[in-house]
Amino acid sequence: MSEVKARDEAVRDEAVQDAVMQDAPFPATVRRGRGGWLRWGWRQLTSMRTALILLFLLAIASVPGSVLPQEGIDPSAVTQYYDAHPALAPLLDRLSLFSVFAAPWFAAIYLLLFLSLAGCVLPRTFRQIGSARQRPPRAPRRLSRLPLSASFVTALSPAQALESAGRMLGRRRFRLRAEDSWVSAEKGYLREVGNLLFHIALLALLISVGLGGLFGYKANRLLIAGQSFSDTPVSLDVLHPGRLVSASDLAPFSVTLNRFSARYVTSGPQTSEPETYNAQLSYTSSATAPVRHYDLRVNHPLTVDGVSVYLINHGYAPQFRVTDGHGKVRFNGPVPFIAVEQSGMTSEGVVKVPDALPTQLGFAGVFLPSAVDVGGRLGSDFPAPQNPRVSLVSYAGNLGMNNGVSQSVYQLDLSRMHKLNIAPRPLAVGQSMTLPDGAGTITFTGYRQWISLAITYDPGQLPALCSGIAALAGLILSFMVRRRRMFVRAAPGPDGATLVEVGGLARSDAAGGFEVEFAELAAELRTAQDGSPPPAPAVAADAVRAGAEDTSSSTREGE
Amino acid sequence: MPDIINGGLADASNAALLTAVLLYAMGMFAYACDFAFRKERLAAPQTAQVPELVGAAAGGTGGPAPAAPQGPAPAVPAPASRWPSGFWLRTAFGLTCAGLLAHLIAIVIRGVAEHRVPWGNMYEFIMAIACMAVVVLVAVSVRFRAYYIGLFVLIPVVFALALDVTVVYTPAGSLVPALNSYWIAIHVTAMIVASGLFVVGAVTTVMYLVADRNERRLAAGLPSRTAGLMMHLPGSTVLDRLAYRTILFAFPVWTFGIMAGAIWADHAWGRYWGWDPKETWSFITWVVYAGFLHARATAGWRGRRAAFIQLVGFGCLMFNLVGINLWVTGLHSYAGIS
Ligand code: HEM
Repeated sequence: MSEVKARDEAVRDEAVQDAVMQDAPFPATVRRGRGGWLRWGWRQLTSMRTALILLFLLAIASVPGSVLPQEGIDPSAVTQYYDAHPALAPLLDRLSLFSVFAAPWFAAIYLLLFLSLAGCVLPRTFRQIGSARQRPPRAPRRLSRLPLSASFVTALSPAQALESAGRMLGRRRFRLRAEDSWVSAEKGYLREVGNLLFHIALLALLISVGLGGLFGYKANRLLIAGQSFSDTPVSLDVLHPGRLVSASDLAPFSVTLNRFSARYVTSGPQTSEPETYNAQLSYTSSATAPVRHYDLRVNHPLTVDGVSVYLINHGYAPQFRVTDGHGKVRFNGPVPFIAVEQSGMTSEGVVKVPDALPTQLGFAGVFLPSAVDVGGRLGSDFPAPQNPRVSLVSYAGNLGMNNGVSQSVYQLDLSRMHKLNIAPRPLAVGQSMTLPDGAGTITFTGYRQWISLAITYDPGQLPALCSGIAALAGLILSFMVRRRRMFVRAAPGPDGATLVEVGGLARSDAAGGFEVEFAELAAELRTAQDGSPPPAPAVAADAVRAGAEDTSSSTREGE
Repeated sequence: MPDIINGGLADASNAALLTAVLLYAMGMFAYACDFAFRKERLAAPQTAQVPELVGAAAGGTGGPAPAAPQGPAPAVPAPASRWPSGFWLRTAFGLTCAGLLAHLIAIVIRGVAEHRVPWGNMYEFIMAIACMAVVVLVAVSVRFRAYYIGLFVLIPVVFALALDVTVVYTPAGSLVPALNSYWIAIHVTAMIVASGLFVVGAVTTVMYLVADRNERRLAAGLPSRTAGLMMHLPGSTVLDRLAYRTILFAFPVWTFGIMAGAIWADHAWGRYWGWDPKETWSFITWVVYAGFLHARATAGWRGRRAAFIQLVGFGCLMFNLVGINLWVTGLHSYAGIS
């Protein structure tokens, strides 16, 4: 019993305390007024256990985001989900489960986590700065109780023995503190520095991401070969500006797609798989700047004025000329079709001719880059245009474009259209189809390629990268450095010799291996002082007691 | 760059991989024989590198520390040979190294056949992670004289490779444009190295849990149910530390891998983080392992609880590798199997 108590005392002794990085237990006796409760809540929030729980909550909260379709990633999948689960979907939507990563409860978790992080790390940082020249703690009274200890007797006087020990430890870059009967030394402060750097860098990372969300923007634009666009809200198909972005903040560049080419594997098991895409662009960074050229490829974005332009999709845009019932050309140009499968790039799209007379015309088309007859059905067996054909179903009536509701350019509203009585047949380039009832003709005049571009501006990017690198550096530092303490006590022995005791302590959690270093240091000390094994009662302590380096987990930093 | 896949080399790679699996299986058998036929307990030197809690136990009871031989100086116990001892253990280790050589050859040849780093699909990815796990096994065996993990690491390795060559197999081919970037060499390599380390960490942690359970039973006065095995394993503290060190090594590599992936995603897709399922699960994995590291520093969470957290992290890693590739479609679905 008394042994255990003595041990507890040893543990409470400052020497054993290495609790800078430990949970701070809340003293049970504090009376809690309002301030007390606040302080209590703050302590709870910034405790290690809370951080642990919040980390888990964060992990669990992310799971639905990968299982359910997400609005921000694939809106069409969300629509499909609505169709498949009409009863469940609205419920999930109410819980923000289709936009988990923008959900208030998700934000609540990570904001709490980062509040906890700030509350935990900033005070530690100040303490660290304040203690930059802090001296090592006092040596505990009984070094043999430390996880690592050794002893020997020497002919030197206690003062000489301590001085020689101090010199040796100082040479090894230990920070020293010497008093009459002991020397205490500490090393490895960089561990805490690394740990703090890591956590602070995480805070900086979150702030960088937030910065990007506020001041950045994302946009998309589909561009047919030969066309140009400029980076303005009206000429972008989709624009998601950050909260603090206005139209005038968009960089004033413009881009022209001169030519797009794709190469596909022509033989072997990967036939039809894409090999390379290349979009030849010309661009100017402003109306007055010179025109430059750029080969835009996947993994090879264009950067203008800090804005990045990426190639994210491509397809065919067949060109049509439509003559109406009065003999007037009412439509002449390319229409982007969307690929519905990749191995043959079979693509679908619609042509709308609202100006046609006497009635409006609409066509639903399929474009086949390499048309083949597969058992009576038409298909495409290769993504490159080796045998391009277009097949059209024709409609006449009211396209429903004037009722103010915006329409998708990829869909026909058939509610007030009727199908024309003409069987679709595949048209080759240059071929025409005459519509029945004198409604007009449509000619397949050729095709072009289109690309779709993602345009992003993210001012948080560079800070995020720097934070990431700092975090990694801090992590490695804190994992490589071990904080450790050495104590030496020297006292006159019974027979005129000096009894030297050496004790060592390290946080076990860092990579371990202090036993070896301790043994080497102890051996070196002993050799330097020409020591010999201690007399009988202490004989056992001569062995290096390789033991638990763990400090008790409930201790706190003293002083 | 007319990337013609070299079919002959690809076949040679398959043959080398089969050889590796065979050698590993034989190595597994030899490790098992070593356990079965070895008479003496695990040799002491293991405790020199990763000591057990002898000191604490002695201090707690107030008894004298175990008497040590009267050496000339308080020195480290004389390091025993790094190399394995005994016929079966030497055979097992030799077979493991030979298997590793065949495994490396398989990977290199496949890369040459395809004119690229051979980690473009799930078959290649599993092949590489298994290889990394064996590299870690060999390194840990020698560095910490921890030959006792051999059997337990080879079991999942052989199992994974067997599935890989039968079910997951994908013929050699070129990369889709989205993957065709030097970032694949950086990002995916980091992920593979970290995954291999995580495998060994998880295996060691399971061993720790078994040893810990055994020690609890003994402490409670119950008979040991795994005494035959335990005599060949170090105590739970040693296993726990070994697992921890592996994770300490793996975690920064994984962190780096995620960062490299983010940079690559930025080059390829125009955003560095988009919560794609694959990204989400590497994030979850990272957070759970960070939780593990925290648990190790939190009172009341060390030991078994932390070990379970680590295994959950490993589960997330595996789900990301297998589950996401097979069941969820995202930008990252490059498994190459349908
Ligand atoms: C975004 C949330 C967090 C993440 C991802 C995170 C991650 C990590 C990682 C990876 C480590 C191991 C690296 C090292 O030791 O330097 C670590 C250690 C540590 N973290 Fe955090 N942390 C987070 C929040 C917190 C919070 C809120 C606290 C305060 C309660 C905290 C306190 C600590 C401490 C004291 C250590 C050192 C543990 C040791 O000594 O081994 N962390 N953290």
